[in-house]
Amino acid sequence: MAAAEKPTKEKLLSTLDDIEVLSRELIEMLALSRTQKLPQPGEDTEQILELLVQRDKEFQELMQTAVEQGRVHQEMQALEKEVEKRDSDIQQLQKQLKEAEHILATAVYQAKEKLKSIDKARKGSISSEEIIKYAHRISASNAVCAPLNWVPGDPRRPYPTDLEMRSGILGNMSNMSTNGVNGHLPGDALAAGRLPDILTPQYPWQSADVSMGILPPHHGNDFGLEPPGHNKENEDDVEAMSTDSSSSSSDSD
Amino acid sequence: MAGVMETEEQARHRFQLELEFVQCLANPNYLNFLAQRGYLREKPFVNYLKYLLYWKEPEYAKFLKYPHCLHMLELLQYEHFRKELVNAQCAKFIDEQQILHWQHYSRKRTRLQQALVEQQQQQPQAPSHGNTTSK
Repeated sequence: MAAAEKPTKEKLLSTLDDIEVLSRELIEMLALSRTQKLPQPGEDTEQILELLVQRDKEFQELMQTAVEQGRVHQEMQALEKEVEKRDSDIQQLQKQLKEAEHILATAVYQAKEKLKSIDKARKGSISSEEIIKYAHRISASNAVCAPLNWVPGDPRRPYPTDLEMRSGILGNMSNMSTNGVNGHLPGDALAAGRLPDILTPQYPWQSADVSMGILPPHHGNDFGLEPPGHNKENEDDVEAMSTDSSSSSSDSD
Repeated sequence: MAGVMETEEQARHRFQLELEFVQCLANPNYLNFLAQRGYLREKPFVNYLKYLLYWKEPEYAKFLKYPHCLHMLELLQYEHFRKELVNAQCAKFIDEQQILHWQHYSRKRTRLQQALVEQQQQQPQAPSHGNTTSK
């Protein structure tokens, strides 16, 4: 198209200029021929007239083109507006999508955390009955809560007292001759070897314990042993014996 | 040394020993005793204390009669605590605090009982109080 070479506006303006020049010349010639009263050779005037007509035609054509271009331009603008609208729609959808993704991600994360905590709770679950039994055991012996009639001077304590310690297995170890025990305390043979020196034996308790028939499972390196509750009874019996002796000692005090 | 297989008998026996020993750790005087004789400075002993932490598992903890020992065991893992235990005042302080804590629930219970008794004493006067407050 012609417009690709030169903008229509310029062309229009140049054509207008041409027309202006030509018409001025024509008018000057006519004016000159009037004043000079000479019959002008009609060629010039004809030429100019022809050129004028030509230019006028060009001008009309260019106007048509301009109108056409204007219409096209309007269409373009309308389409651009559409495009803008669609663009903003897409952006909004994008925002909403991002929000939704964020919310879902949070929800998934929290759900995972919840599952983790459920697993954890399940792993550590203990029957309430067992817990209550244990609570009874440690409260009944006044190990965690002082007896209501406790006064300073009462020998009872929240930990095993000297007497209790001596009455136990540890206290009686120097009475025994089992070598196996000394060799098998993991990581510290010293503690096994020295403990009998610390505690002097008073009550020969050991034989009674073993004859109770405890059968713990044996783990090789782990040393994890799980004997039944008989051991607790041993501790209770130790307690019973020592409270007897302690009450007698407090009498003597 | 540690790799020797022990018989069931020995395992049972060791269990009882360790049960008794770990509970003895609840006694701050005993801890002071151990500290003053330098046991708490020996690396094998410290390793043994770390090994004893298995008593915290519920399947073992249920055999403990004196649960204070678990807290002491946890504290004993720290070198600073082991060093401090050499002082007799430290042990005495721990002992006093332990006993006071031990009495906490009985004190709370007696306070609650007293409060209840006072409440009951006030109840006969409640109607008159109600009139005054409504005015």
